[in-house]
Amino acid sequence: MSSRGSMMFVLHAHLPYVNHPADSSFLEENWFFEAVAETYVPIISSLERLAAEGIRPGIAVSISPTLGAMLENEELEKKMAFYLESRLELIEKELVRAKDNPALFKTVKLYQKLYEDAAALMHKYSGDLITPLKALQHAGQIEIITTSATHAVLPLMTRPEAVRAQLAVAAEDYLDRFNRKPSGFWLPECAYEPRLNSYLKLSGFSYIFTESHAVEFAGAAAPGGVYAPYRTTNGLGLFARDAASSREVWSSKFGYPGDPAYREFYRDFGYDGELEYIKPYLGSDGARRPLGLKYHRITGSGADLAAKQYYDPELAMARVEAHASDFLARRMAQTDEYYAARGTRPLIVSCYDAELFGHWWFEGPAFLETVIRKIRVERLPLQFVTPSEYLNSCQEPREITPGVSSWGENGYFDPWVNETNDFIYDAVYAATDKMIETANRFRNQDLPSLNLRALNQAARETLLSQSSDWAFLLYIGSHSQYAKGRLEDHAAAAIKLLGEVIEKKVDEAALNELEQRNNLFPRLDFRVFASVSKF
Amino acid sequence: MPQLSQELPAEDRLVLLPKNPGAFFVLWRFCASRVAAFRAAALAGEIELRLFSVDDKAQVSCLKAAWGAGKAYLTVPAQGGMYAVALYALRGGEWEKLLESNAAAAPSAAGMAEERAYASLEFHKRGLV
Repeated sequence: MSSRGSMMFVLHAHLPYVNHPADSSFLEENWFFEAVAETYVPIISSLERLAAEGIRPGIAVSISPTLGAMLENEELEKKMAFYLESRLELIEKELVRAKDNPALFKTVKLYQKLYEDAAALMHKYSGDLITPLKALQHAGQIEIITTSATHAVLPLMTRPEAVRAQLAVAAEDYLDRFNRKPSGFWLPECAYEPRLNSYLKLSGFSYIFTESHAVEFAGAAAPGGVYAPYRTTNGLGLFARDAASSREVWSSKFGYPGDPAYREFYRDFGYDGELEYIKPYLGSDGARRPLGLKYHRITGSGADLAAKQYYDPELAMARVEAHASDFLARRMAQTDEYYAARGTRPLIVSCYDAELFGHWWFEGPAFLETVIRKIRVERLPLQFVTPSEYLNSCQEPREITPGVSSWGENGYFDPWVNETNDFIYDAVYAATDKMIETANRFRNQDLPSLNLRALNQAARETLLSQSSDWAFLLYIGSHSQYAKGRLEDHAAAAIKLLGEVIEKKVDEAALNELEQRNNLFPRLDFRVFASVSKF
Repeated sequence: MPQLSQELPAEDRLVLLPKNPGAFFVLWRFCASRVAAFRAAALAGEIELRLFSVDDKAQVSCLKAAWGAGKAYLTVPAQGGMYAVALYALRGGEWEKLLESNAAAAPSAAGMAEERAYASLEFHKRGLV
């Protein structure tokens, strides 16, 4: 059946750079292990399965440079293997404990398969999950895009040098990782302001994604609303997020993830289990924390955690099937309505954080796979397209002037600029200003190797201080001390290193330690921060 | 109120950041000689943050603050324009401009619908970490 409209799925995968090689068990590294086991492996497996069946997924995946670096970090890969072994060991015990409880046993078996699958995929690719993603892109199954080097919210980077550095480093990182130049750029938090256009274009990017109201501000100039691509005055392609399809997935209140049959995120065996029994699987401090084994379903809105019923995998998968059908029916209604009103076929752009699928919404990867498969199997009049494909085949997009916007709470920059986190910008700008000033001073000089290393490491630390994650964690009150410490440490390290270079007193031992811990962007050249950059 | 636990170098800085259609955030810091001037009362303790339109340089609002406060939120008088802020201090009875910020765009209000579910993005991340 011919298509009545196109769908573009964009999954943005990002985690802050967390690497503590000196610690065998570092709490915040669990963010990465959980996301690998629950999100990245299941999504990659789904994409591979679809491709093997001859069903082209045709989705776009944004891999942040910090996440990419972690996925290729051998130390983290070793720790990941240990994490999976540890979970599987606990699951073996749990199978014995649950042998007389069929409802629980079924769910423990499900987790056994989840972690065994993760271990098998990690083994298949020697621990490096970039390899299958690269292969999927190479085979034309998906399109991989990038985002700013350390996920800085670019409208909050007032210095042009800082914006250029975030973009140039991201572009180079992508080239190194995926062996080709990137076309697409995921604006961190969809945060847009017009000043970014020229920097993005000069950095070689062809298109971006924005929040709906960035386009809606353009009014009559954007007659297709969010259902058409656009271009900015300098020819940068632009896609706007469709609110309706996002709402059905994102919203805890209205969205599919809140279904009573789905797994309850907040009830975890790390809090339910007998302390001595689970102690070997907690952190070195022995404090209770999530273990990823969640045996209950949502059961009902507002139900007390203690009153949750056991998860039933078959019941949940039946709901996945129903929700995928509902999602597609709604998209077809959207396309029909649009076509009837305007006589052209719409493009529906659905953007999500990848970690929603699997980590928070446990059934999310199955939903994604079911949606893609149903279009083919049921011969639905919809097609998945990647951004580059669409831009290459559509008519010349209209030129618009998008508005300042983000996809964060309230649609602007409130989550990253408020009373809980505004103090951080003093440190961010101290490091950034010093970095730019020092890059300008030394950009044309032949430098001793030690000084060059110190300047390059200062550039890494400066970029890491600019990450959106520290402000966000402070805002939501989660791991606040860690976020504050990371931000301060990166800014202080950058300022210290730059001072040492100027005073010709680089502390090599301290530099070695920083290089080992914050070892992303191996080709980074500090001159990327210079006011008149060679990049 | 949370604050930095590490001392930063004393240097002049005035940064204007967009927050939402109704507010800018401004942060400032002074070099050692200016800090000394404030401490010695050569500069009066109360500064003025004068927000002005980048297009015509017309001042659109003014906020008084203690020199050591280091940050403030400014109301945006009109959405969609480009603004900058200048920091003034009184020296010998005369207002003296000490610093001028970057220019920042004031967003226009979108009339947000609840159905856009921005906030759910946030609680997802709350779950992850």
